Amino acid sequence: MSIKKIIALLLLCIVIACAFNNSYAGDVGGKEVTSLDHKVDTTNLSGVNLWIADLYNNNKLMYAIVVTLVMAALGTTMAFGTDLILKMFGMDVTKISHRE
Amino acid sequence: MNVFNINLPVVGVQFNILILVLIGFCVGVIAGFFGEGGGWFVTPALNIFGFPMAYAIGTCLSNIFGQSIGATKRHQRMGNIDWKLGLISVTVSIVGFEIGSQVVLALEKTGNAGNIIRWCYVVFLSGLSCFMFYDYFVLQKRQLNDENEIPGTPVEDIQPCRSKIAERLYIIKLPPMISFPISQIKAVSLWIIIAIFLCTGFCSGLLGIGGGFIIMPTLIYLIGLPTIIAVGTSLITVLFSSAYGCFIYAVNGRVELVAAVILLIGASIGVQIGATAVKYIKGYGIRLLFAIMIAFAALSVITEQFYKMTGKSFFQTMAEIILLGTALIITTIILSKLYIEIRKERGRY
Repeated sequence: MSIKKIIALLLLCIVIACAFNNSYAGDVGGKEVTSLDHKVDTTNLSGVNLWIADLYNNNKLMYAIVVTLVMAALGTTMAFGTDLILKMFGMDVTKISHRE
Repeated sequence: MNVFNINLPVVGVQFNILILVLIGFCVGVIAGFFGEGGGWFVTPALNIFGFPMAYAIGTCLSNIFGQSIGATKRHQRMGNIDWKLGLISVTVSIVGFEIGSQVVLALEKTGNAGNIIRWCYVVFLSGLSCFMFYDYFVLQKRQLNDENEIPGTPVEDIQPCRSKIAERLYIIKLPPMISFPISQIKAVSLWIIIAIFLCTGFCSGLLGIGGGFIIMPTLIYLIGLPTIIAVGTSLITVLFSSAYGCFIYAVNGRVELVAAVILLIGASIGVQIGATAVKYIKGYGIRLLFAIMIAFAALSVITEQFYKMTGKSFFQTMAEIILLGTALIITTIILSKLYIEIRKERGRY
């Protein structure tokens, strides 16, 4: 399966999540997390922290999209980066034979 | 050490960046090696260091999402992923998950949900752990003696050590039949696959865990996948469920983005090392380490249950120490084994 298909499926998951459920999130033991009006105090913040805090305070949906995209982009970038580093150390990163 | 402290704007706490990277690295190694998310370790770890529980869960899920992309890519490259089976597992598990969640909501109305679910968790983890130990120390030795100990048998001719349960399920010829060539399964009833993933999804929804913890042993013992294909394929479930969880928790404002990014930096390195270690450790070695890990996870839940029953904080501290200690020890074992095997491969021993 190509990376494009994976990304398309992930986006579909996110759209489904948006459409059907924006107030529930389960955790161990099935505890429920409800919405809260927590606002971050921005008085001592600057730079990226200020931008994140403003985004968090003003638009939770946009914050969620940014979080998801940042984690996806960073995860992909780091995967390629560490792959190169492991190759440099001489670790074989290709197909392997299976042994039980 | 103050020089390494960073301000986490959403949670509003100071956190040592080295501890975050270390937690991320450990969970990355474990996730890449076992094909699971590692939320059982990261969530309590963040909580111990000052994150409120909901933020710990949300941040952990975001990290799992990012790291599982790297782990999936790596296992895909090593040919360990059966996408067909993985996508069926994701689709069917969602239905089972929703049923499990509804049961939890019904239990909550009785006011005793936490207690019942914790005991279910203990029974599930202990039972699975005992079965995996039995499988390792008794069944696989017997099976190897019976089938593969013919002198001169080429390695490629040795049949995979499938569980007896899986072989019995293959006998049921209820159409439509489906094949999974990557997993070396010639024909199995689609209904059996659906029933199995409905059950795993139900358990995930009931126990509130991501999926890798349940899916990986299910793929090995019920569907009969070779261990490393099971490790790679279970990551698909982890990837999709964590993507969903990451978004939902972020919409509710329960993700600390800065912490998640730093965790992911450590995890991305760890996950590549963990996934590479799979190459050097035999399938049954992976199963044994997994059995040890879930046995200690069960012990931690039992200790936590004692805390709930007695109110003594000693038990809570013990539960946390058991969890963190297990993760650190398992990570060290994987890294040591990888180092030794690489040295052996290069002929230095």
